[in-house]
Amino acid sequence: MSEHVVLFAGPMGSGKTTAIGSLSEIDVVSTEATNTDRATANKETTTVALDYGEITLDDVTKVRLYGVPGQKRFDFMWSILAGRARGLLLLINNDAPDSVNLLVKYLGDFRELHERGAVIIGVTKSDVASTPTVAEYSAALTAAVPEQLIPVFTVDPRNADEMRTLLLSLIASVEMRELLAPAPEKI
Amino acid sequence: MNYPLAPAAAAPSHLNPAHIEAGNRTLAEMQDLASSLTFAAMLTDDGFEIVHLNGTHADGGRFASMSSSVQALSDAVAHELKIGTNEYVIIASELGHVIQLRVQGHPIVLAALFDTHETLGKGLSIARIAARRMAELIA
Repeated sequence: MSEHVVLFAGPMGSGKTTAIGSLSEIDVVSTEATNTDRATANKETTTVALDYGEITLDDVTKVRLYGVPGQKRFDFMWSILAGRARGLLLLINNDAPDSVNLLVKYLGDFRELHERGAVIIGVTKSDVASTPTVAEYSAALTAAVPEQLIPVFTVDPRNADEMRTLLLSLIASVEMRELLAPAPEKI
Repeated sequence: MNYPLAPAAAAPSHLNPAHIEAGNRTLAEMQDLASSLTFAAMLTDDGFEIVHLNGTHADGGRFASMSSSVQALSDAVAHELKIGTNEYVIIASELGHVIQLRVQGHPIVLAALFDTHETLGKGLSIARIAARRMAELIA
């Protein structure tokens, strides 16, 4: 059985914990704490270390799903978990202030991961805020990272089928990247 | 310092003047009990620093975030292994010990760094006294 490690990142309130809960076949390991920062995201709890779940795809591929805290003050967890991942699933909530630039900023924070692995973007809460559009996100990403084509989808993190489609696309990109990687030199 | 005008009970602990005052008092009393206390902080469960003592030894904000993560991970391990409620966390290192525990009944964590002149047992005892004291002061 092959294994992949995928990181779920994005701002607080973008749906990372919900997405992992929708996908995981095991009880999610979560580290939720009472949220005192209601100005940033009006929700009861927030992730302060990680979320962890697992899913098996096509009976032969196991994917370990790690979610990181959204707040910058927990960026040490980003570094710890990014080191073991090969894929980045970056969620952005469409109702966030200046969400296009926020997405580009988060992508920059995980540059090392998406340069060696693969990345896919999920735009959440597009039912709450209809703009920006997917095209606007794509244009900003193309401007920021012209050497890489980064797919952007709208997605509902509560919807397991939608999340699964997004995850399968990411895993396909990771595997393609591994296939195309030059073979290590023989000594 | 200006504080928000919201009622004290409604404000999160790191913005609550009563909690900040209680935290400062508790940590000062803790320092009186242990000269080996190198650094200490009260923080919210979600990683905001309420107060700290001896700030020259560490970045208080970063320490609070890391302590919050460590506390939550420890809670998750205890939950996963079904071994009851996580009472405290100890990180014993070559040059110091970090001891952290919750303030009973509040989403607040006390994290304290002792140098190695303190035994773990005494450090834990002092930290427990301080956590109880904080709970009394903000009850």
